[in-house]
Amino acid sequence: MTLYLNFLKPITDKMESQTENNRVYMENLNENLKKQLIEALNLEDITPADIDDNMPLFGETGLGLDSIDALEIILILERNYGIKVEKPKEGKEIFYSISTIADYIRKNTK
Amino acid sequence: MKTYITAAEVITALGADLAANVRAIEDGLSGVAERKDPRLSDSPVMAAVIPDETFACLAAQYGGADGKSGALTRTELLLAAVIGSIVSQTGIDMSSADTFIVFSSTKGNVSLLDPSSSNQDERAYLWEMGERVASRFGASGRFCVISNACISGVSALVVARRLILSGKYRKIVVAGCDTLSRFIVSGFASFRSLSGGVCRPYDSSRDGLNLGEAAGAVLLSDAFSKGAVVLSGGAISDDANHISGPSRTGDGLFFAMRNAMNEAGVTPDDISFLNMHGTATVYNDEMESKAVGLAGLSSVPVQSLKPYFGHTLGASGVVETVMSAVQLRKGTVWGTKGYETPGTPMPLNVSSASRRVSMKHCVKAASGFGGCNAAVVLSLPEYSSGTAGREEHPASESRPSASYRILRTVSLKDGRLARDGKTVFSSEATEFGEFARALYHEKGRADMKFFKMDSLCKLGYLAAGELLDGIEFEPEETAVVLSDSSSSMDSDLRHLETLSCCGEAAASPSVFVYTLPNVVAGEICIRHKIKGENTFFISREYEPDKLREYASMVLSRNGVRYCIVGWCEYLKGAYDAVFELLEADNR
Repeated sequence: MTLYLNFLKPITDKMESQTENNRVYMENLNENLKKQLIEALNLEDITPADIDDNMPLFGETGLGLDSIDALEIILILERNYGIKVEKPKEGKEIFYSISTIADYIRKNTK
Repeated sequence: MKTYITAAEVITALGADLAANVRAIEDGLSGVAERKDPRLSDSPVMAAVIPDETFACLAAQYGGADGKSGALTRTELLLAAVIGSIVSQTGIDMSSADTFIVFSSTKGNVSLLDPSSSNQDERAYLWEMGERVASRFGASGRFCVISNACISGVSALVVARRLILSGKYRKIVVAGCDTLSRFIVSGFASFRSLSGGVCRPYDSSRDGLNLGEAAGAVLLSDAFSKGAVVLSGGAISDDANHISGPSRTGDGLFFAMRNAMNEAGVTPDDISFLNMHGTATVYNDEMESKAVGLAGLSSVPVQSLKPYFGHTLGASGVVETVMSAVQLRKGTVWGTKGYETPGTPMPLNVSSASRRVSMKHCVKAASGFGGCNAAVVLSLPEYSSGTAGREEHPASESRPSASYRILRTVSLKDGRLARDGKTVFSSEATEFGEFARALYHEKGRADMKFFKMDSLCKLGYLAAGELLDGIEFEPEETAVVLSDSSSSMDSDLRHLETLSCCGEAAASPSVFVYTLPNVVAGEICIRHKIKGENTFFISREYEPDKLREYASMVLSRNGVRYCIVGWCEYLKGAYDAVFELLEADNR
């Protein structure tokens, strides 16, 4: 779907295209986040179904992500959603789980 | 026997020779300034950059910096200049059989890499950089290159000291250098670890580091000369905790400082000051304060020179050791510029002002990616223990090398894993990604981190897993000494591909973190809980005899039982690993 849209929209329509992308992302935000996470972090053996919406992403008990992964998540938010996390320290709560990241994106998307 | 630092030279953003640097620091100047330079970044960056005039001047002296055939690159020019200075100060013959060069650099000529080309400029290999510089001094082939992240310079001093103690060489020039480029700046920016001002080590308001470029060299000799200081001990350790995050406890850095002090035969009470890494990132300085506390050195004057030079990466260990030697001789500890309010969890005796101190010994320490730590002790000759003179090895000193046996050999190549020559696992799929995945699953491992590693780390991880299978050891009794030819070039190219396709802001921290070859040693240490020495050499080909010879020096240290030595080479799908497990005899 995303590919299809990017393909059709001319570059001059960049802003509009992003808005359209956002709409598509928002409809299935949690699922998309999981896919983006798996791709960006090279989690080869994991499928979106393995990641529960509310499971902790960091620390020993959850997905076991670390500080470098947190920086990659910041990049995902910037690149795909146009959201800047200004204070990396805020990241700890925002990045707790897929649900908390999705909440943050909804709150910060105009 | 003692090892003496008998000559030194540095070139930094603050000055083109040692005297100019000392003057600049005593005048309270900083080499860090805002730079708008496309060589570094599209956006302004605070960095300590060597002026173009300096390079032009060196080029006139050493034959060109424009990268044409035969002309030296910026990094090579700086190395040639600091070594040239040592030669003219001391008149040593670099072509002599008892003379050697140990280079330290993290990225060498990385800016010559071209991600769109399938054939890379040979000068981008660190061994070729070493050869090009060494051959200018008639020392063709008479060198080694260490690339061990931010401890490279201190590592090089530790290695050179061991080579002299072993009697193999009588004089060694240790030369460290890194220059800045978009490669490095974009990577550190992706880590969000660059400060927008001049860095403020240990201060409560510190918010990151400044990058810098520099070169430094010392002459290490078995013979005293006037004005020399003694390199009286040195040690290297690993945190076995995380490849980029500093240890939570500081124990790794503590081990390195404690072992270096033990080797020098000194106690914390003998230490006059500490020159630490002090990058001014929140977590590095926090970790250092804990390590200093564990070492019983909390009351000793501490300094970081990063506000003057920036973080000069592979040069920093050499440059800051030179500056420590100068302060030891002068009886002065320079202030840590910009320090105001204590900002570390454990107390540190930091001051922004210069202090007069009665000198005996000092410690220079550093920590880096891969979880590595290194420390050396410098001593005024009149206070250094041990016996001067070349032929003596009193029983009280550790032997310079130990005999060992090879317990096990593992090789991994062409879709085949072999232990002691016998195939343990083979796969139809010889393509590395598929093969590594199949082998990983065959071994029934469940380590989430494996798939995040770059190919070099996966290769080392799999080879070490087989090598250490069923072998038990204490964290500190095992060391890792590895080598390869292409350093981290495979990940370097991935980082550069991102920069050229999508711009600096797209630089991926999880790619950049693997642009140091020693990170594979760090991954092995995390997996197997190894906290002993880590040293990474870069050589054109696998030189098992030289690695074993160095390992025998590592194994001679008290409490070291095993040393992993090996070759771990990965570039663009071609892979080749040979690992050996050495065990010290006479235990």
